[in-house]
Amino acid sequence: MATALNVLGVTKRYGAFTAVDDLSFELEAGKILGFLGPNGAGKTTTVRMILGLIAPTAGRVQVLGEDDPARVRNRIGFLPEERGLYRRMSPVKAMAFLASLKGLSTAEGGRRGRNLLVKYGLGEFADKPIKSLSKGMAQKVQVLSTLAHHPELVILDEPFSGLDPANQQALEDLIREIAADGATVIFSTHVMQHAERLCDQVLLMARGKKVFDGTVDAARSAAPRTLLLEGDFAAEQLSDLPGVAEVTAEPMPAGGLRASASLSRGAPAQEALREAFAKGLDIRRFELREPQLHDAFLVLTGGGAE
Amino acid sequence: MIRLLRIARREYLAYVRTAGFWLSLLLLPVGLSTIVIAPMALSHSTPIPRVAVIDFTGEHLEPAVARALDPAPGARPQAVLVPDPQPPYVDPADAARRIQPYLRGQKVLPDGEPLEAAAIVHPSGDTVAVDFWSRNIGASSLEGQINRAIERQVRTDRLKALGVDQVALDRVETLGLDVSDFSPKAAAGRVELTDQLPAIAGLAMGMLLWMVVLTGAGMLLNSVMEEKTSRIIEVLLSSASVPEIMGGKILGVACVTGTILLFWISIALGVAAIRSPPLAGELARVFLDHGRWAYFALYFAGGYLMFATLYVTIGAFCETAREAQTLLGPMMIIMSVPPIFMSQSIGHPDAPLLKTLTWIPLFTPFMMAARSAADPPLWEILATAALMASVTALELWVAVPAFKAGALATGRFDIRLLFRSLARHAGP
Repeated sequence: MATALNVLGVTKRYGAFTAVDDLSFELEAGKILGFLGPNGAGKTTTVRMILGLIAPTAGRVQVLGEDDPARVRNRIGFLPEERGLYRRMSPVKAMAFLASLKGLSTAEGGRRGRNLLVKYGLGEFADKPIKSLSKGMAQKVQVLSTLAHHPELVILDEPFSGLDPANQQALEDLIREIAADGATVIFSTHVMQHAERLCDQVLLMARGKKVFDGTVDAARSAAPRTLLLEGDFAAEQLSDLPGVAEVTAEPMPAGGLRASASLSRGAPAQEALREAFAKGLDIRRFELREPQLHDAFLVLTGGGAE
Repeated sequence: MIRLLRIARREYLAYVRTAGFWLSLLLLPVGLSTIVIAPMALSHSTPIPRVAVIDFTGEHLEPAVARALDPAPGARPQAVLVPDPQPPYVDPADAARRIQPYLRGQKVLPDGEPLEAAAIVHPSGDTVAVDFWSRNIGASSLEGQINRAIERQVRTDRLKALGVDQVALDRVETLGLDVSDFSPKAAAGRVELTDQLPAIAGLAMGMLLWMVVLTGAGMLLNSVMEEKTSRIIEVLLSSASVPEIMGGKILGVACVTGTILLFWISIALGVAAIRSPPLAGELARVFLDHGRWAYFALYFAGGYLMFATLYVTIGAFCETAREAQTLLGPMMIIMSVPPIFMSQSIGHPDAPLLKTLTWIPLFTPFMMAARSAADPPLWEILATAALMASVTALELWVAVPAFKAGALATGRFDIRLLFRSLARHAGP
C-alpha cells in the first residue's frame, strides 16, 4: 500500500514556544486518520505544515510523494476550521471557482459541483445564494466544495463542529464514501465517537507531542477495562478483588452503591467477579465495560483540556 | 498565472454583481447632470425677485436699473423692477423704516409677491449713495448689478453736465481692453484654451488616480477582510501561492475601477464630442501628443500597484472594520496631501515644493500626473518611475510574508506578528 503522508521529525517553534515537537507519523493511502488532541495540542499547526502553509522549523513533510506540498496542491482538498464561503455566490459557482484553483476548468468544476450537490440532496439550492441556505446546508456545501476536484488527500479541520446530529451522521457517511472512492482522509476532532466510528488510524497529540499513533483498538487498549457493579457493599470490599486497580463509587437513591472498578491491564474480569460472589457480596447488577476512545484519550493525554 | 486570472475574474464578477458597482458607474453622469440641472431647476422653481428703487436724488435712475435688469431675448429675468411700495418718504431713514415690513414678509406687493430688495438712492456730496436693503443677506449679485447700473448712469449724467456729448459718451462706453495672454509654452505664442488643456488634463488624471486608489483600496481591504473572517483565505492559500492571490485580487479590483473609469471617460468624451467636437478633438490630441497616454499609464499602473499592495497587506491583518480603521488612519492622512498640492500644479507646475513632493514615492504618481503639462525631463520621469518601482518591489517583498502571516493569524492585529514574519523572511 502506498504512503499518502509521511511526517518525519517535524518541529515548529514560534520564538520560545514549541507548537509541534518532533512529530513523526505515516498514513497509508486510502485510509482515514483521526487527528485528536485537546486545544493547543498542535493539530492545526500540523495541518498547516502538511498543506505547506507554514514551513517546519525542523523535519520534513512528504505529501503524496512530494517533499514540497505546494507541488501537489491540486491533489489536496482542505476544509479549514471555522470555515465559510462567499455568501453572495451560489454553491455551484463557489464550488466551480474553488475547483478551478485546483486545476479544473470553471465549467468542469461547476458540472462536478452540481453533481455533488444533487447527490447529497442540495440540488435545488445549487443556484441560490449561499447566504440563503441554512447553517447545516451551508456547511455541507463547504465540505463538498473540497471534493469537486476529486482530491487524493482530503484534510478536514474540525469538520463536525457546529453540525446537528443528523448532519454529523451525513458527514460521517460522506467521509466513508470519500475513503471508499480511494481518497485518503485526515480530520481533526474533539468528538471521540466520530473518530471511533470512522478511523483506521488515530493520532493523539498533547502539548505539541505525539502521545499515540495507531489503530482505534490499540488506542482503546491503552485505557483500562472497567467493571460496573451495583449492590449493597462497601467500596473497600471491591478494592481487595483480584485485578482491580482503582475503585470509584457513589450512593444510589434507592440505597446501596454504584461502583466503577478499573481493571489492571490484562486482568480477567471473571476472576474478580468470581471472588466477589465467593465472598458473598450483595451484587444486584454487573457489567463489563470495554474502554472507549474517550477513556484512552484521557489516559494518553493526561486528563484532557489544557 | 491561470490561478491569478481566475481569482481576478471572481473578484471582478463579485463586484460587478453588486449594486454599489452600478451606483459608482452612474455617479459621474448623475453628479454632472445634478451640477448642471440643479441650479436651473432651482432658479425656475423660485419666483422672480421684485426690486424697488427709492430715488431721493431726483435724477430718475430707475430706467437705468430697469434696463440693467432687462433679460436677453428668451431668457428668464434675474429680477423685476417694481414701483416703490409706500411713497412718499420723508428721507432715506424713513424709507428704510417703512420698507421693513415688506422685506420681513409682513406685507406683500400689490401683485401678491414679496419685495426681495430695495435700493435707496440719495445724494452724498458730489455723488450719490446707495443703501441696498434685501430680504437675504447673500443677494450680492443682484446688489452688484443694480449698483453698477446706478453708478454708470450717474457717471454719464455728470459727464453730460460737463459738456461731453452723447456720441462721445457712447464711444467711451463701448471701449474695452483687448487682453491677450502670451507664453513661450503656448503653441502659437498666444495662450488659448487648447494650451491650457494639458494642465487641466494632468490635474484631472492626478485626481482620477487619487479617486481610483481610494476606491480600489476600500474594495481590496474589504475583500481580504471578508475572506479572512470567513477563513476562505486559508482555502485559497492551500490552493494558490500568495503572489497569485494578491495579484488576482489587485488585478480584479483594477479591472473593476478600470471599467468605471472607462465608462466615465467615455461619457465625458461623448458629452464633449456632442457639445463641442473641436474640444473633444483637442482632448484626444492632448492625450496622444508627446506620448502622454504612456506617461499617464506608467504612473497610473505604478501608483495603483504601490497602494493596492499596501492595502491588501493591511486587510490580511484585520478581521473587523474597526481594526482596519486603526491601521488606515495614518494612510488617510497621507492620502489627503496630494489633492491639496495637485490643484496648485495648474498655475505653478514647476514650483519647488511640487517638485520636491514628486520625489516622495507615495506622492509620486499623483504629482507627476498633475505636473504632466510642465513636460518633466526624461531623466526625472525615469528616476521617479524607478524610485516608485523600487518602493513597490520593497512593498511586495514585505507584503508576501506579511500577507501570509496576517491571513493565518487569528484574533486582534498584533504589530509584533508583522515584524516577526518580516524578520523570518529577511533571515538566512
